[in-house]
Order: sequence, then C-alpha cells, then structure tokens
Amino acid sequence: MNSFKQKWLICRTVADVTYKEWSAYRTHSMVSIIVGPVYFMVQYFIWTAVYGDHPSLGGIELPQMIRYFGATALIGYLTMDFADWNLSMLVRTGKFLTFHLRPIHHRSFALFQKIGHRSLGFLFEFLPCLLIFIFIFGVDMRPASLPWTILSVLLAFLMNFYVNYTIGLTSFWLVQSGGLRSAFMLVSGIFSGALIPLDFFPHWLQMSQFFLPFQYLAYLPAMVFTGHYSLGGFELSIGQAVGIQAIAVLVTFGFNELVRRLAMKQFTAVGA
Amino acid sequence: MKRYLDVYKQGMYSALQSAAAYRMNFIVSSLITLAGNILFPLVTLLIYRAGTSFPGWSLYEVLLIQSVFTMSNGLSSLIFGGVLWTTMSHVREGSFEVILLKPLNPLFFIVATTFSIDSAGLFLGGVSLFIFSAMHVGAIPVLYWLQFAGMFIAGTAVLAGLTLMMAAISFKWVGNSRISELADSVLHIGKYPLPIFPKAVQAAATMIIPVGMVGFLPASALLGRMHASDYAAILPCFLFLAAGIWIYRHMIRLYEGVGG
Repeated sequence: MNSFKQKWLICRTVADVTYKEWSAYRTHSMVSIIVGPVYFMVQYFIWTAVYGDHPSLGGIELPQMIRYFGATALIGYLTMDFADWNLSMLVRTGKFLTFHLRPIHHRSFALFQKIGHRSLGFLFEFLPCLLIFIFIFGVDMRPASLPWTILSVLLAFLMNFYVNYTIGLTSFWLVQSGGLRSAFMLVSGIFSGALIPLDFFPHWLQMSQFFLPFQYLAYLPAMVFTGHYSLGGFELSIGQAVGIQAIAVLVTFGFNELVRRLAMKQFTAVGA
Repeated sequence: MKRYLDVYKQGMYSALQSAAAYRMNFIVSSLITLAGNILFPLVTLLIYRAGTSFPGWSLYEVLLIQSVFTMSNGLSSLIFGGVLWTTMSHVREGSFEVILLKPLNPLFFIVATTFSIDSAGLFLGGVSLFIFSAMHVGAIPVLYWLQFAGMFIAGTAVLAGLTLMMAAISFKWVGNSRISELADSVLHIGKYPLPIFPKAVQAAATMIIPVGMVGFLPASALLGRMHASDYAAILPCFLFLAAGIWIYRHMIRLYEGVGG
C-alpha cells in the first residue's frame, strides 16, 4: 500500500511539474484552436460533398461521419505523445544516464510527464476545440456511452505511449531514430483512421488492422464514441471492442518491456 | 546581380555537399517523403473506390489537382523550405545579428543558405503523380499548358509568401515549432476542388489567402475549366508574396537581439 502511495505521489509531482513547465508555452498548445477547426471544416465540406445523395457510405451515415472526425480530432489532443522523440534525444545526447541513476523507472517517469503534458492539452486544446465543434459547427459531441469512451481513450493514451516509447527504444541501436519515427507517423496517420475511417479500406487491410497497433490509437476510440464498431465485416459490441483494445495494450506493453530489457543490455554511458 | 547568383549557387552547392555527407539520412528522408506522396492521394482513391466522388470531378482530375499541389509545395520547399526553421532558430537563440552583419540582404542570405535538397523527393513525387494523372485526363492543348505554367508560378508565389509570413510570425511568437501547422491547415483547402466549399471560403481561397492557386486553379487550367474571372486570382498571389516579403523585412526591423 505504501509503495502504491509513493508511486502516486511521484506521479502527481512529475505530472504537476511537467504541467507547470509546459504552461510557460501554453500558447503553443493554443495553435490547435485554429488548426483543429480548420482541418475539421475542410473534412466537413469534403464529406458533405462526397455523400451527396448517398444516405450512407461504408456503412456510415453523414452525421456519424462528422461526429467521427470531431472525435478523432479531440482524441488526438488527449493522447498526443512524443515519448519517442524525447527518449531518442536522451540516448543521443547521453543524458539517459542521469535517468538510469534515479530511483524511478524512466518509462514511468515519461508516462507521468505525458499525463502532465496532456492535462495542459485538455485545458488548452481539447476544451476549446470541443466548444468550437459544438457551438460553431453545431456537431453533436455527446458520446454514445461516456464510461466506455473514457475507458477507450485511456487505453488509446497508453497504447500511443507504449508504441512511441518502443520506437524511442530503437535509439539504443540506431542512435538517431528520426527516420523510423517519421515512417511510423506516416503509416499511423493513414491506418489509425484519422484521415478516413478504416471501413473504406479493402477487406484484407481492415482485417490486418486487428493485429497492428494503429486502429487502437484513433479509429476504435472514435467508433466507441459514436457507439457503433465494425471492421473487416465484424460487428462488435462496444464492450467487446474495448476488450480487444485492452488486450492490444497489454500485448504492446509486453513487447515494450521485452525491447526495453534488450535495450538496457545495449546501453553504454561515459558519464554525461 | 552576378554576386547574388554566385552566392545562391554556392548555397546550393553546400546543400548538396551536406546531403552527400549524411547520404543515408538523405536517402531515408527522401524515400519517406516519396512514400508520403504515394499515400497522400489515398483518401481520394478510397473515396472513389467506395463508389462515390467529388461532384463533377473524375478520380484523375482530383489526382491532377493533388499532384499539382504536391509539385508546387515541393518546389516552394526546395527554395524557401528552410527559411521558417532557420529564422525561428536564430530568433530563439538570439543569434539573428550574425545574419544582419553579413554584407547581403538578410532575407536573400537566409533563402540562399537554406536550399532544402531534402524536398527534392517531394517535388519528384509530385511530378510522377502529375504525369500519371495527366495521362488519364485526355489530350491537353498547348494553350492550356501555357495557362497552367502561369498559374503554377502564381501558386508557388503563394506558398513562398505563406512561408515568409510564418517565418515573420516567429520573430514575435518565439520558439513555437507549431507555427507551420497554421499554414498547413489553411493549405489543406487547396488540395481539393474549390467548388465543394461554400462561396465565402472559395472567395477567401482565391482572393485573400489564395491557396486555391496552389493546386486547384492550375489543374483547372490544364483541364480547360477556367472561367474568365479566375484570371483575376493571379494578381492577389503576387501581392501575397509581396506582403510576405514586406512583413518579414518589417519584423527584422523589430528584432531585438542580445548580442548573438
């Protein structure tokens, strides 16, 4: 119990310090207040034009599609992560050593930092954009089930972190993992469903998404938000979908732990 | 003039030498950019594959718009791509004086020394997609090609103006690496047929921030879909570039350094 209490205290402190640190740059986060609605507006007009007289496309109706894009934008603000860049920088500059000597696991430290950083994102990106979507675009942004949506977004938060942290760990071999990061971002941008719902992809590509991490980052939580999940011909209840997402997060965590252990054997430092 | 050309040539040469020194990084970056270009029109392909379309536009016509956008973006990035990041970095570190001390126009110096060879992949990817889509839209008369060339240059001027404005913002909004996202979000409008947007957005995208000239209008010229009124959009493009240069130079005057 004491150990849990101590971890909670560390988590709160690291998150709080990160929040204060990034608060100095809060206007950077506020760029999203312009960028998010502009992207959303473009998506709104693209899909309104594309739907034309079609009542539904890929099994999705226009209002659901608009809600979907609103949800993916907002979920992106809550789960955004750059743990890979951060870890890569620490490895490249040798500063990782200073973390290695601390009585706290760096992965936990990075996760707590992310909690603080995204708390700021919640205030300066998520809330303003949510209000813009509701009051200016008139989009119904009420989730089909609030508890399931919160749980799914939390899992997406963890998934994004563990995937990015694993990419960051490759720096122990590659030193500079920028190329891998760019490649992942490129593929993730498409297969996470942030650009277009995965229902539009060929059947075999939809099926493959069950075994890849991408859909768990945006598509699945956004569909949980809309209250209807189907992929590759499988219709799942919201509970089943979130269950699969939880399993995917556990598998990713296991993989991350394996890579971390291998990476630590690779680590050498000369007194940063 | 010759001096300026020599400096620019030297800047290009240095950029090539630098890319050669880190050639693996250059190759990987170029390949990722190229892959990004191939995947960029994927949304359009998937929309048409679902049996629907942008009303009045065939798949290859939309791909043509997007390829022209990519080419224009690639060309602009080659020439002006480094201006934003270099300016931002100098302002953040308080070392912009180093540029002001050079016996050259500071804006020209930054443009000449930040030739972004990395963007060659972007430009070439755009060219490949352009050739592919142009081959599927039927014969294009010479007159349309001439109109396209004029529009394409105007579109590239818009991108250059936008880059300079973003770089100018970085003099006051110090160290904000997300400034470029502002330009990217607005440019997103230029990747699709303008008629899908409401009249107010169309007017803003042709006369105020003429992003319609980056992809849509040059492609329309090639397809013979230009209206007489569309030519009026050329002037705002060059005014936009002039505004970008003016704002950038104005912000240089407002720069307060700490000794470099």
